[in-house]
Amino acid sequence: MSNDETILLGAVAYDPKVLTIWEGIREHFQEQGVPMDFALFSNYERQVEELLKGHIDIAWNTPLAHVHVRQRTRGESLSLGMRDTDRDFHAKVVVRRDAGIKSLKDLAGKTLAVGSADSTQARILPLYFIAKEGVDVSQTKLLAFDTDLGKHGDTGTSEIDVLKALHEGRADAGTVGDLIWVNEQSAGHVDSGKVEVLWTTPGFDHCMFDAHPSLAPEKTEAFKRALFAMKWENPQQRRLLELEGLREWLPPRETGYQSLQEALQQQGRE
Amino acid sequence: MSAEIAVMALDCGDLPLGGGLLSLLRPALNDLEGGGILAVLSRAASVREDLPSWCRAERHEYLGVEAIPGDIDRHMIARGVFSVSKQAPPDEGKLKPSEGEQTASSVLDISPLPLTADPSTGFAPRGARVEPGGPAYPFTLNQREHVAPPEVARLYDQAVSAQWDATRDIPWEKAKTLPFPLASALAQVMTFLAENELSALYVPARFIPRIHPAYAEVAMFLATQLADEARHIDVFLKRARLCGVGLGISSVTTSRSLLSLMQTEDFTEAAFLLSVLGEGTFLDLLSFIERFAPDEATAELVRRAKNDESRHVHFGLAHVRYGLTNDPSLYGRLEAAVRRRAAALHGVGGVPAPLQDALTILAAGSTEPKAVARGHEAYRELLETMHTSRVRRLGHAGFTLEQAETISDLHTPNFM
Repeated sequence: MSNDETILLGAVAYDPKVLTIWEGIREHFQEQGVPMDFALFSNYERQVEELLKGHIDIAWNTPLAHVHVRQRTRGESLSLGMRDTDRDFHAKVVVRRDAGIKSLKDLAGKTLAVGSADSTQARILPLYFIAKEGVDVSQTKLLAFDTDLGKHGDTGTSEIDVLKALHEGRADAGTVGDLIWVNEQSAGHVDSGKVEVLWTTPGFDHCMFDAHPSLAPEKTEAFKRALFAMKWENPQQRRLLELEGLREWLPPRETGYQSLQEALQQQGRE
Repeated sequence: MSAEIAVMALDCGDLPLGGGLLSLLRPALNDLEGGGILAVLSRAASVREDLPSWCRAERHEYLGVEAIPGDIDRHMIARGVFSVSKQAPPDEGKLKPSEGEQTASSVLDISPLPLTADPSTGFAPRGARVEPGGPAYPFTLNQREHVAPPEVARLYDQAVSAQWDATRDIPWEKAKTLPFPLASALAQVMTFLAENELSALYVPARFIPRIHPAYAEVAMFLATQLADEARHIDVFLKRARLCGVGLGISSVTTSRSLLSLMQTEDFTEAAFLLSVLGEGTFLDLLSFIERFAPDEATAELVRRAKNDESRHVHFGLAHVRYGLTNDPSLYGRLEAAVRRRAAALHGVGGVPAPLQDALTILAAGSTEPKAVARGHEAYRELLETMHTSRVRRLGHAGFTLEQAETISDLHTPNFM
């Protein structure tokens, strides 16, 4: 645990833009009188270990990493904040129009494209929710795109792969996060004559700033104060918020991670 | 008024979200105030899944769906605060249809120039609905009184219709082959004109990137001025090269004078020095050359250049007069600018000697001593005329006779 006043934050470098984002946020924190520095990791597993050892104060975590931190600290870790986009995330089951799939039951015997094994939105939760609807996923043929393992689906690459497989007819159905699905449609990358949405999962929450349980209260408060001072209307800050995919930072909430905890238990991945 | 919430309904038929629906939905939402409600009528089942997700991604509030008769879903959306909101109707009317022409002046009538302009609207055309949060641009001329006199659109319209072709509009075939002393004098005069017009091309160009695009008409007028100067440089050098004796001399006096012009950092001061004093003085110089032109080609190109320059002088005068009306302290600043420049040019001597001699010989039409005496007299009168016109022009700009006399006396011996 760093003893000086500087807050040391961990983030996973899933893309070169991550450096731009955190350099910008560090500068903003400095302007707010909150000394902050960051360390970049190549994967969330390492980042979680370093947080638990107290080598970093705060980790910017995916839902999977967040749930691990909660379990490993027996719920004593401190949750500090999340993006507006992290609330009420959904996953989509998307199908080829010519695959004859009118409901989830019709997935039996079909090829279902799924994202990375550690992607909450493209693999873990959609499979959990589909099963919860009474569909035996083992009756489908899974076409898995296990790209960027360790990045917990942050890159979105596996979701793009799922959509590509659907367009090319290598899969009948696929699972992706709701944001990728609507953003790809907005960008005109989806042929709505070939591919359409079938079903939307219940909502769940996404990323979270997790702090070590022993982080000093003044650091916790300083971090939240500087974080929530970022505003979309400010051109410099807007640039950072755009890159990080949010319009405003929101306070934490724990209610949105229950489904993921259950899914991990069921899938024996705790 | 704040409680007033607009509700609009939008029929999207069976369009899927990614198959055209967004092209109806997004503009409709942009027409609502923040919190305004849109009813989306849809027959596409996929929209039930996609619309709530799209609203989440775009921070609009999805209020729910109900089935209405006709197998139609009615989705309700409240517009979020992060998209481009409907703004008060812009301070802008509709351009009237017009037979034959649409002028910049008629545009200005319905889209007036704002008093001040916001650097963060960037290159957004005046009247556009600007999404908030854009970067600030380094425009420094953001106040109407410093940049945009009301006459600008009229002068721009005139400039556009007065453009001509340096290649074809001059009767080049009528350029005479002149005897040596006259050929040499004309080449010298044309060299001097081209050198000065080069500075008149570069000086205004420096200010265009500083002008806020809300005053685009000013930048557009200056663009015509640049095109004018380019054409003048072109015809002056062509005429010089038709003399067959090479180009004339470029004097240090001219070089120092033009550098001091180029180093003027204030737009109004530069307009005053370049257009009111410099180009103003050039009007008399060009009239002189036209009067003593040895052939029709020379007379025609000088006449055309003078017409253009006269427009630049008008704009310069309008610019300065407008600034003076709004800020009387400008008189002092302009006089100080002239004094500073005179101090920088102190000791450079009078009118560059090669030009003096060339103008005298041109007016004389030969080197015969009696003719040269007449030429010298004409040249002396020219200097008088230049001074008198400058004083008159400065009077039009609003200076007192005493101020005008002082400023005219301090004006550069290089004319520009």
